[in-house]
Amino acid sequence: MIFDGHEAYRAANFKPKVCILGSGPAGTTIARKLGAAGIPVVVLEAGSREYSDESQDFYRGTTAGDFYFDLDITRLRYMGGSSNHWAGWCRVLDKQDFEPKAWAPDTGWPIRRADIEPYLPEVHDILELPDFRPDVPISDDIRWVQLIKSPAVRFGEKFADELDKSRNIAVVLNTYATELAGDGKRVTGAKLWSNGQDAGPFSADYFIVCTGGLENSRLLLWSNQRSNGGVIPNATALGRYWMEHPTFEGGNAILADYGEFEVDAVNEAFFSPTLAAMERLRIMNFGIRLIETPYAGVKHVIADLACTAPDMAEWVAYQLSQNLRCAAQLYVAWEQAPLASNQIKLSKTDVDHAGVPRIELHWKKSELERRTLVEGLKLFGTTLIEKDLGRVRLMDWIANGEDYPTDEETAGHHHMGGTRMGTDITRSVVDANCKVHGMDNLYVGGSSVFCTSGQANPTTTITALACRLGDHLSKVVAV
Amino acid sequence: MSFFRKMSRRTLVQALIAVPALSLFRKRPEADAARTGPSRGDPSPGDPDEIVEINGWILKRSDLA
Ligand SMILES: Cc1cc2nc3c(=O)[nH]c(=O)nc-3n(C[C@H](O)[C@H](O)[C@H](O)COP(=O)(O)OP(=O)(O)OC[C@H]3O[C@@H](n4cnc5c(N)ncnc54)[C@H](O)[C@@H]3O)c2cc1C
Repeated sequence: MIFDGHEAYRAANFKPKVCILGSGPAGTTIARKLGAAGIPVVVLEAGSREYSDESQDFYRGTTAGDFYFDLDITRLRYMGGSSNHWAGWCRVLDKQDFEPKAWAPDTGWPIRRADIEPYLPEVHDILELPDFRPDVPISDDIRWVQLIKSPAVRFGEKFADELDKSRNIAVVLNTYATELAGDGKRVTGAKLWSNGQDAGPFSADYFIVCTGGLENSRLLLWSNQRSNGGVIPNATALGRYWMEHPTFEGGNAILADYGEFEVDAVNEAFFSPTLAAMERLRIMNFGIRLIETPYAGVKHVIADLACTAPDMAEWVAYQLSQNLRCAAQLYVAWEQAPLASNQIKLSKTDVDHAGVPRIELHWKKSELERRTLVEGLKLFGTTLIEKDLGRVRLMDWIANGEDYPTDEETAGHHHMGGTRMGTDITRSVVDANCKVHGMDNLYVGGSSVFCTSGQANPTTTITALACRLGDHLSKVVAV
Repeated sequence: MSFFRKMSRRTLVQALIAVPALSLFRKRPEADAARTGPSRGDPSPGDPDEIVEINGWILKRSDLA
């Protein structure tokens, strides 16, 4: 069932056991799992079926620290959430991403990749993915990995019919949960704002917050402030350890045989370090994306090489005349070290139309990450030499140790951390089952629970974790 | 096949036709190093397999030959 607002929903007298906030990939996946298990669930969605400027305005906020996107640009507030404009790149976090790293504090998850692997067949159905091929080691240091360019499922569109026909799932559109109330053990209810007005209190046995990787922290910070600590009893880590995937053009490569790595439909190939290399260089995970350089660009690369290694440049020029393709741009996206100082705060001065403080995002890249970028590219360059595959050139700003440019991709629009998973209540917000520490009926879905970000885009892992949480809750709620 | 191999004179000429601007940029690293000092890389003879970073390029010393 899909309702256009809270009034229509109330009139239907549906009695949910579980209330999910948000209908993005996380919320929709959990709702479908619970619905399939025969559990009545309501999904409160702040936006409507379509984009609107009015709804999007609730997402405005400010950023401090490194340059970052406007907060109302980097996500979408309507049915299906940011899946309405995601690019569809898919890969699950690596096994090594779940392991603690001695050289990077606050790394390591309380679960392992094996804990989400049983859900991958479901994830493949949901995201319409073919099977992943295993990573191919090209040296002891570098793996050739696969990111699948999926059809970029729009969750709102794909599942609208199914949700509408479901007798166990009620989706209530235009209904913004402005606040949860709690007594330090349980969430006792929620305050709603529906179709532009206060819709009064709301209750359910269980609440799952799936409002996205920025908004989960905002809603919980605000709720906790209003409940005097009754929603997140251990709030030291709340809003903290926020992470992105910084993404920049890192350089160029010339390749002896471009066809060697031609893998996907969009002609791109991806490379990541092995755990041994990360350990040796004390760096985080990264992904180097190889994109074919257009003909005119290749000439510039060759001219540049000619200044340094003229004979080699001549050889490359010959390759170009034969194959027309021998050079690539290298885009690097890397894992951010989790830092408590990268955090979501509530604005003290600016509120949205419903009176909820807007986000103030504090975000800075660290030295460890700069090292990851530089050493990562050098590692890739060295590997190409050792394996007789090609040569790499670093962008000037990297080679010269200059600041990050502000006119580039910057980051992946991947909002991770803020309600991270863990066992230490001072450094995490939820446990291994995504349940808020100390609360009996409050859970969190989405990438805000990520302890570390790995290098892979987050939605495949978000969906796997959502399947797992859906399964877990079906058992808990059925008791 | 080695990534970098010896080529005939004819091949080199073809290469220069393919990238007409190349000859304009052609200069030896020794000249660079002499002009700007050691920070541009050390072109002195050494292990040909040694990895060197010059002008942002990650190269084998033998590439500089
Ligand atoms: C331009 C772009 C490209 C991307 N490309 C990729 C990619 O290639 N691969 C990848 O893996 N990821 C990508 N992403 C990220 C991906 O979109 C997100 O990881 C994913 O959508 C997160 O799902 P979610 O369900 O956790 O949150 P969201 O998708 O943000 O959904 C949250 C939902 O909650 C609703 N909501 C918010 N607050 C409330 C409230 N208080 N009450 C009720 N409802 C609320 C929102 O309206 C929204 O529908 C991209 C993102 C962007 C912006």
